[in-house]
Amino acid sequence: MNSRAPVSWSAAWSAAGLLAAIVLPWYALQEGLDSGAWFGGLWSSEDYASALAQVVEHGKWWLAPVLAALMACLAAALVPATRQRRGTLLLIASTTGLLLFVVQALGIGLRGWTAGWLTTMFGELDTRQVGLGAGGAVVLVALLSLLSIGLALRGNFGGDAFVAGAVTTVAASIVLFTAWPILRILVQAFQDGDGLLAPALLVERLATEKIWSLRCLSGGGRCGVAWNTLFLALGCGAGTTALGLAFALIVTRTSFGFKKTLRVLTVLPIVTPPFVIGLALILVFGRSGLVNQFLEWSMGIEPTRWIYGFQGVFLAQLFAFTPVAFLVLIGVVEGVSPTLEEASQTLRADRWATFATVSLPLMRPGLANAFLVGFIESIADFGNPIVLGGDYGVLSTEIYFAVVGAQLDYGRAASLALLLLVFALGAFFLQRRIVGTGSYATISGKGDSGLPTPLPDAARRAAAWVALPWAAFTLILYGFAFVGGFVKVWGRDYTPTLDHYAKAFAVERTADGLIWTGAAWNSFWTTLKLAAIAAPLTAALGLIAAWLLVRQRFTGRGTLEFATMLSFAVPGTVIGVAYVFAFNVPPIEITGTAMIIVLCFIFRNMPVGVRAGMAAMSQIDRSLDEASLTLRGRAPQTLVYVVLPLLRPAIVGALVYGFVRAVTTVSAVVFLVTAEYELATTYIILRVINGDYGLAIAYSCALIVLMLAVILLIQFAVGDRRLGRRAIALRGGRA
Amino acid sequence: MSVEFQGVVKRYGEATAVAGISFTVEAGTLVTLLGPSGCGKTTTLRMIAGLELPSEGRIAIAGRDVTTLGATQRDVSMVFQSYALFPHMNVLENVCYGLRRSGQSRNDAARHAREGLLQVGLECYEERQPSELSGGQQQRVAVARALVLKPSVLLFDEPLSNLDARLRRQMREEIRELQQRLGLTVVYVTHDQQEAMAVSDRIIVMNAGRIEQQGSPRDLYERPATPFLARFMGESNPARGVLRRLDPATVRVRLGACEIDVANATAGDGEATVAIRPEAIAVERPADAPPNKGAANNLAGTIAKASYLGTHMEYSIDTAAGVLFATCPHVDRPLTAGDPVALRLAPRGVIVVEG
Repeated sequence: MNSRAPVSWSAAWSAAGLLAAIVLPWYALQEGLDSGAWFGGLWSSEDYASALAQVVEHGKWWLAPVLAALMACLAAALVPATRQRRGTLLLIASTTGLLLFVVQALGIGLRGWTAGWLTTMFGELDTRQVGLGAGGAVVLVALLSLLSIGLALRGNFGGDAFVAGAVTTVAASIVLFTAWPILRILVQAFQDGDGLLAPALLVERLATEKIWSLRCLSGGGRCGVAWNTLFLALGCGAGTTALGLAFALIVTRTSFGFKKTLRVLTVLPIVTPPFVIGLALILVFGRSGLVNQFLEWSMGIEPTRWIYGFQGVFLAQLFAFTPVAFLVLIGVVEGVSPTLEEASQTLRADRWATFATVSLPLMRPGLANAFLVGFIESIADFGNPIVLGGDYGVLSTEIYFAVVGAQLDYGRAASLALLLLVFALGAFFLQRRIVGTGSYATISGKGDSGLPTPLPDAARRAAAWVALPWAAFTLILYGFAFVGGFVKVWGRDYTPTLDHYAKAFAVERTADGLIWTGAAWNSFWTTLKLAAIAAPLTAALGLIAAWLLVRQRFTGRGTLEFATMLSFAVPGTVIGVAYVFAFNVPPIEITGTAMIIVLCFIFRNMPVGVRAGMAAMSQIDRSLDEASLTLRGRAPQTLVYVVLPLLRPAIVGALVYGFVRAVTTVSAVVFLVTAEYELATTYIILRVINGDYGLAIAYSCALIVLMLAVILLIQFAVGDRRLGRRAIALRGGRA
Repeated sequence: MSVEFQGVVKRYGEATAVAGISFTVEAGTLVTLLGPSGCGKTTTLRMIAGLELPSEGRIAIAGRDVTTLGATQRDVSMVFQSYALFPHMNVLENVCYGLRRSGQSRNDAARHAREGLLQVGLECYEERQPSELSGGQQQRVAVARALVLKPSVLLFDEPLSNLDARLRRQMREEIRELQQRLGLTVVYVTHDQQEAMAVSDRIIVMNAGRIEQQGSPRDLYERPATPFLARFMGESNPARGVLRRLDPATVRVRLGACEIDVANATAGDGEATVAIRPEAIAVERPADAPPNKGAANNLAGTIAKASYLGTHMEYSIDTAAGVLFATCPHVDRPLTAGDPVALRLAPRGVIVVEG
């Protein structure tokens, strides 16, 4: 049948790699590949030369072994051999090629050898390497593909080259774009300004008053940013979990009438850039906010700046992230099987006892999870602290000022990022310890009959008293944020106006056609374009990773799952800084390009796609895949004809999420934007920092409306088709 | 030879699911893998399918070494326990699926699929969704879907376990009839020994990752090689007896006061484990028992428990050789607990189990 297919594929990949090494420029081009100018200089120009020309003409002898390895792969693909043997040969040749590739790429940089000991060992190099270009990229991909085929031929990954290729792709991209940048932070944190290793410097950078002072506790003075971050995160984690639980209980366990409205709350944080709440708080509590103005008018109290500081950031984060906790906990509360609660009641437990001894313990892993999410959202938050923090510095803003501000101290930024990473991973591991493996997944998949037990009255009242005013206030805040864009100057002149929108989104009609004169258009279009590129890639990579993790068994599966879980916990600020460090020097030199922003979008948002995909996929019976396999459907066909059609809702979810998060994210990309590639959120933040609230609010509202429109549009376009099976089962169940 | 296993081992990390098994399946026969849950029978089936690859050993299908080939590359197809009908495709699309993936045109695939549906008697159900079919119909679609590919080997993984008792008998007869009519090679997994005996040409009994014994249903029932087999293939009472060889074909088994001559060519003299089939124990009131020559084949006992099952009675009887479980076709004059009884053992239901 198609047992010969991997053999011809391996020949094709070897040939593709060799071809790229001959006809594509090995190094990155200043002006990009599409200009076409490189074609003439493919042999003669050192900048444009292909790998072969670099070796023969320009003295880059270290590329020769990589090409030799590719030749060896081609030979292995063509010589007569058994499946097993050919696999082994391919494996050896491609692994050797990859090693040589990586060694030369890391060993030789912009200034010759990248490390002193290499220079002493091999002598000065009179030439240098810039970032990898098209030729290098294709050769790398070819070598990875050959490695996968080799593994598949040897019977790994169920003997399936597609699965092997998918695993290699996902693993390699996670290594390149998540693990490697984070590793660079480590290296950077231990380096001094000249790139020499200086572990003492890390201690010196981190052991300062500014980071660890505890003076605020004893009264007088300020605490260090590390403590600030930690206090804020603990408060935010605890607060959002409690509020989220209250909301979840009200929605699932009471006959409260406005459940739909509450559910809307869960959409808001997804479509809102995280600092919008901060902005709204300024409108209400700021110096010229409503409250201060009312107090001044009624009692003559001097307006204060009390909202700026811990309380302001804390409040903003509570408002911003409670819906996220709600989203997590509603699933948890619904996941507690009513049967268990009914069982408890038949065993003489009253409502309280049932709630306290059955329901709550079953929710414990979910509560820990919600806390973790709140904690990590808080330490990763950049928008609210920079808008509302005032003197209250946290790690994310401190890192920003170290990189972007006048200090320009990469070492310090790296050290602080390392600290932030340690906090995040600490919380992550602590949560795993607490929850352990004892996750009580109580959703059986079989439609559990039985009714959820209503909450005890006291608990219901408490939840309602906390949650409902809070929900109302959240909606009011969003309302103010909306209105704020339509008045002249908030706090001084409430004349209705469209000026802010005009300033941001003006379009002039001239003889030459439309001219987008508004100040926001540039960042607006860039954002849309990059998010639209990133979203499908995010969804595809996320779902493929999910498919591998749920459906395939292979060595290293656990590691891969752990890696995706881990990147979930890495704060955006850390990723942003890490990208700056890792990708502004060869071998991958993409700082300042649109590509780095797109990559950042993808690898920031992919873990969520993976989680969602895994959840959706584990609800589809595994035997469906296996049936397809035994019916001659190869793995890619199984994916296309069986898995994906059943996963439609998850795909829509991943697409929407990938797009919307790319548009609303701040913390990671704030380090990566340039004048050429400016994004909506970073543009708004800069306007806020400059005190230009009207424009910032107008722009934010436009974004929120756009995001809602996009969600509705995608929902409409893809449709919400339910599976016959489910619908019928439901009908049957109710009948 | 359609399927050939040579020293196949399957390990999951530390745990060994299949501990080195070798067997062959001849073309045109139905072979059952039978065993208690966790014995490795399903893992073995999945290794034939290529859904699992062996950790050691060699697998050949139709003379071709397929040890490292995945499911797609093997000429097998499988009927799943859950049927695994694709819920987003109708019946015809489900049956066409494998044909289309094997490269047939839409029309050819539809034609062959219709033939397949005809074979299982579902020709008017083409447009139905799987969720609109009964369990038995879903089962037939799954069979048709696997059948139309004309595989070298057709695999069944506990295909009847989701059906009710009446349908189960009907479906197993249909499967057997289809297999014999089309001359299919089938490997069938079940944990139900009655089902296995009803459908199989040959049965391979597995236990704890190993093959316990293989042979025809009659072989296994009448000549179980191990105590496990005697217990697993039908019911049996284990007892300790003393053997004495009378001639090359017969041994005399002494159980307490009772002596019985049993056909056996291999057992040596001395103590041995003996299995007594419950249907081989005739339970009679002492008064009704025919005067026995020397009362050699006669065991006295007392009824401990009695249950009425419609077609027969089940008794637990206290005897000198331990508690014996017996079935008795005479439901008209049932015995009750405490009644003294005389037991007679039929020689063909007394099996000497080596070891």
